[in-house]
Amino acid sequence: MRFLIYRYDPDADKTPRMQAYELDGFEDGAMLLDALFRIKAQDETLSFRRSCGEGVCGSDAMNINGRNGLACITPLDSLKEPVEIRPVPGMPVIRDLIVDMEPFYHQYRAVKPWLTVHDPEPEAEFLQSPEQRDQLDGLYECILCGCCSTACPSFWWNPDKFRGPAALLQAWRFLADSRDQATGERLAELEGPYRLFRCHSIMNCVDVCPKGLNPTKAIGHIKQLMLKHLV
Amino acid sequence: MSWRAAAGLRSWLLQRLSAVYIVAFLLALVFAWGGESVPFDTWRAWVAHPLVNVGLMLFLLALLSHAWVGARDVVMDYVKPVQLRYLVLIGIGLALAGLAIWSLRIVLLVGG
Repeated sequence: MRFLIYRYDPDADKTPRMQAYELDGFEDGAMLLDALFRIKAQDETLSFRRSCGEGVCGSDAMNINGRNGLACITPLDSLKEPVEIRPVPGMPVIRDLIVDMEPFYHQYRAVKPWLTVHDPEPEAEFLQSPEQRDQLDGLYECILCGCCSTACPSFWWNPDKFRGPAALLQAWRFLADSRDQATGERLAELEGPYRLFRCHSIMNCVDVCPKGLNPTKAIGHIKQLMLKHLV
Repeated sequence: MSWRAAAGLRSWLLQRLSAVYIVAFLLALVFAWGGESVPFDTWRAWVAHPLVNVGLMLFLLALLSHAWVGARDVVMDYVKPVQLRYLVLIGIGLALAGLAIWSLRIVLLVGG
């Protein structure tokens, strides 16, 4: 199998380049991450992030044949050759496939992704009905890999101002939570032309999410709730 | 949060509502005249009817405000230097306002 991999070391290289590798003899069902491990065994200067290897940690997000995805759950036999691998778009490259995720985390932190309760806390636990708990399905599963936000043109143009699909999905996750009491503050924080409303429903986020989540739908819910709070 | 503070929501809502009105008006137009070749005088008399006249003016306003939100969004995404951005926005705003005055004047004159 032929691979073309983005290589860039800002300290040594003037410009990025694409390096070709060729490998054969993969087992049935091998994933792209397996191929990257074998390439790294050949050429240990190649750098990429990975951890769990089974689509749970979200470390190995990369741009695979023009589409963001997780290398560890992308089967090799699903890929057209040569397999072009690049870092996720729009983020500062630290080295090869490793990007600086800080702009992404900054927006994530900004939506205060934790429960806020103004009442005195209950002595035992917070109770939720099964229906209230169901509201969080499709939201809590996010692994923060960043595939969605780095595939979003609105996030490319305004990474410092637009929250991006991943952070907005989490904003809705806490707005939809029956235990959270900061609805007004959360909505007020998202107002203005940039933070929420740079979303033009392009839906790249939905297309690439490796967990099959739908940030565009969550963003629609936030807009509706905002409208409800105003009228 | 108040309407005054809800700048993002306001323009989003304006875009959605104007889109609904534009589609409804165009459908009504197709329903009323679809496929027919209408002589100028008939057409003029139709537009002169107060209900059509007001409906058409609202359509023009909806169309231009929809265009304003859309064009402003494109400028906000792609034109980064602040001074150039204001210049482009003022240009688009003046052009759309000019179109509004011109087209509304025509419709008003027909309505007599």
